[in-house]
Amino acid sequence: MNPCLRFAPMIGARPGELPDGDARALADHLAACPACMARAADADALAGLLSESLLAEANARDFSTFSDEVLAKIPSYREAAAGRRGTSNRPADGLWSWIRHHRLATALGTLAPALAALALVVYVDRGRGGPGPDDVLVQVTAEGGSATVLETSDGPVVLFGDDEPAGT
Amino acid sequence: MEADDLALISRAKAGEAEAFRALVVRYQRKVYAVALGIVKDRDLAWDVSQEAFVRVHAHLADFKGESSFSTWVLRIGSHLAIDALRRERTSSKEELEEVGDLDLAAGGEGILATGLGNDPQQNLLRRELATQMTQALAQLPEKHRTILVLREVEGLSYEELSERLEIPKGTVMSRLFHARTKMQALLRRYAGIKAADDDQAAASAGRGLVPRRRGDS
Repeated sequence: MNPCLRFAPMIGARPGELPDGDARALADHLAACPACMARAADADALAGLLSESLLAEANARDFSTFSDEVLAKIPSYREAAAGRRGTSNRPADGLWSWIRHHRLATALGTLAPALAALALVVYVDRGRGGPGPDDVLVQVTAEGGSATVLETSDGPVVLFGDDEPAGT
Repeated sequence: MEADDLALISRAKAGEAEAFRALVVRYQRKVYAVALGIVKDRDLAWDVSQEAFVRVHAHLADFKGESSFSTWVLRIGSHLAIDALRRERTSSKEELEEVGDLDLAAGGEGILATGLGNDPQQNLLRRELATQMTQALAQLPEKHRTILVLREVEGLSYEELSERLEIPKGTVMSRLFHARTKMQALLRRYAGIKAADDDQAAASAGRGLVPRRRGDS
């Protein structure tokens, strides 16, 4: 393999950019290879000339209005940036406004699962502990039949007994 | 960082427009040069460099002085230039045809160093050279133009180039090598013509006028 293939891409590296071993090998190669030494000289020349040429192009241009134009653009950029921030915040603002506007509904909606859970607990507890103080289970027996009736404030409720329709 | 950059930044942060203007004036040409090297269009480079300063102003409060102000401004400028280039990219048809494969066996010619000289102070007195260089740069493919400018004008290291361009360090090195080779090919004709002219002038004047490399006596 032509050693130049290995070393040519290393040409133009600044001190410290190559591992020590590569840097030493490159230096040795440059000392022995006029072609790569010429490439290195070109790389050096190009580095300086390119920067200076672009700066020369810049220096050839009239910059007298440049800073005024920059300062003139700042307010509109600031407004646009604020607008973008406003746009990006709008969904969150909107959600917050909606929540504030529908405070009651939101509160009820939030509490609904908790209320439902509480109602279930009370119902189960009541079922476990038997009828409430206002409710009285009455066992009614008449003419050989019997029925269990729950006396409630709304009137007697037959839970089960002989008065169920026949055939069920 | 220039000694009074920090003072100007501090005053600009406090809302003093003239302090910010002074910073703009100080770095405007450098930012423009980097942008021009990347986007190769003078008007676009002008807009990009102005936008860079507008962005700098918007984020001035975030500047902590961990890097120099010029590094920060140039970084913003080159980012915007690369973005602008991506937006403006139409097709690779605009790019110069690939320079033929490098014939390493032929060896380096050192034609830039010997033909153009490497003393910018001396050579850049001639506007023609700057024009030739920027024209040659403009003919490079986008990726080669960008990496050359970031390396040689913005002064980024291999590591920084790797991060900025999101390519491995090895690719940075090979891409730079190809960019330089293509640039050399584009300048070869100009450099050859110039060297011949200088030889002729030297012969007629009876003294050596061929640009010599720095350090030669």
